[in-house]
Amino acid sequence: MRRHTRRIFNICYRFTGNRTEAEDLSQDVFLRVYRTLASYRSAHGGFATWATSVTRNLLIDHYRRTKRDRITDSLDDKMPVVENKESAGRRPDEQALLGELSKQVQSALTRLSPELREAVILRDLQQLEYAEIQTVLAVPEGTVKSRINRGRIELARILQQMGVRPA
Amino acid sequence: MTWTCDLVEARLSDYLEGLLQGPERVAFEAHAKSCADCAPLVASVRSLVGEMHSMEVLEAPPRLVYSILDKTLGPRETVTAWQGFLNAIRGLATPKFAYGAASVMATLIIVLGASGFSLRKPKLADLRPAAIYQSADRQAHLVFARSVKYVSDLRVVYEIQSRLRQDENNLQTAPEELLPKSSPGKNPGQTDEHQPSQPRQQNRANEVSRQLQMLAAELPLLSERSIR
Repeated sequence: MRRHTRRIFNICYRFTGNRTEAEDLSQDVFLRVYRTLASYRSAHGGFATWATSVTRNLLIDHYRRTKRDRITDSLDDKMPVVENKESAGRRPDEQALLGELSKQVQSALTRLSPELREAVILRDLQQLEYAEIQTVLAVPEGTVKSRINRGRIELARILQQMGVRPA
Repeated sequence: MTWTCDLVEARLSDYLEGLLQGPERVAFEAHAKSCADCAPLVASVRSLVGEMHSMEVLEAPPRLVYSILDKTLGPRETVTAWQGFLNAIRGLATPKFAYGAASVMATLIIVLGASGFSLRKPKLADLRPAAIYQSADRQAHLVFARSVKYVSDLRVVYEIQSRLRQDENNLQTAPEELLPKSSPGKNPGQTDEHQPSQPRQQNRANEVSRQLQMLAAELPLLSERSIR
């Protein structure tokens, strides 16, 4: 169970960028899995793939619920800036949690659209295969590859705007 | 095929994941190196993918696991040691355990009975290893002696039966020797002076008693019984 908890927590954290939200969403994922376990069928892929699908659905639902809050917040930060420790707005333990560069990538990830963000997280952070991502997102493989490609390019441009130079 | 910037951008991930082969790959690289827009794009995306692959996997906070367990399986009730003990005892109240316990008790009672331990008048001294050994030794000798006696009795009965059969055969084969000789001029009712006539049953009974006396002399065990 710890292995699944860690994986789902990482997906939620990379998607939301917020530790507290990631914990709450992880709990909701396991609650949903626990309640709908009877509906699990092996045709949906392995249990891990099915749990990832539940996670992705909850993340999208959460994103849509909190969209209005984010719209009002985004009006204040039209110019993305390089985050440093003083302006990160995170707790010191969260700063310690991430590496220097990874936190900037994390910040850039939260600025991607949800469709591109989830594709990049599943491919580059969770190292899932195209077929598995296709099952999780319930879209054709061509769409999966297209979203991953556009997400990577968009992410690189966001980092460039933030002033982060590639290594 | 002429590679354009749009095409390079569209196939960038395929190139980075090694899905472009041969001339296609060569042409892609040729354009990417020469184009002022595509070159930094390819470099930045390549660097970004490498960084994401090396980003650390975060550990879930420990309280998250317990929180999930509480919300799915329910909070664990704190029980005292006494309640825990009672719960364990209740857990043993299953038919399977009852059958097992009854079997163990029955085996114990049988073993104790075989070892000489009296259940009606239990004595702790009966459980001494020396007492158990002596009791087992005595019982083994008793069983052996009884089996020897049983086999010997069977032998006696067999020999009696075989002698009886033999006597019957003898009586049947030679009846004319015992019966009085009949002369041609013998009148009915006139007896032979040399051979007084005797009833066949009396001769047989005398023969059987004589044989039994011989057997009694040979087999001491038979002396305990009397055959009338």
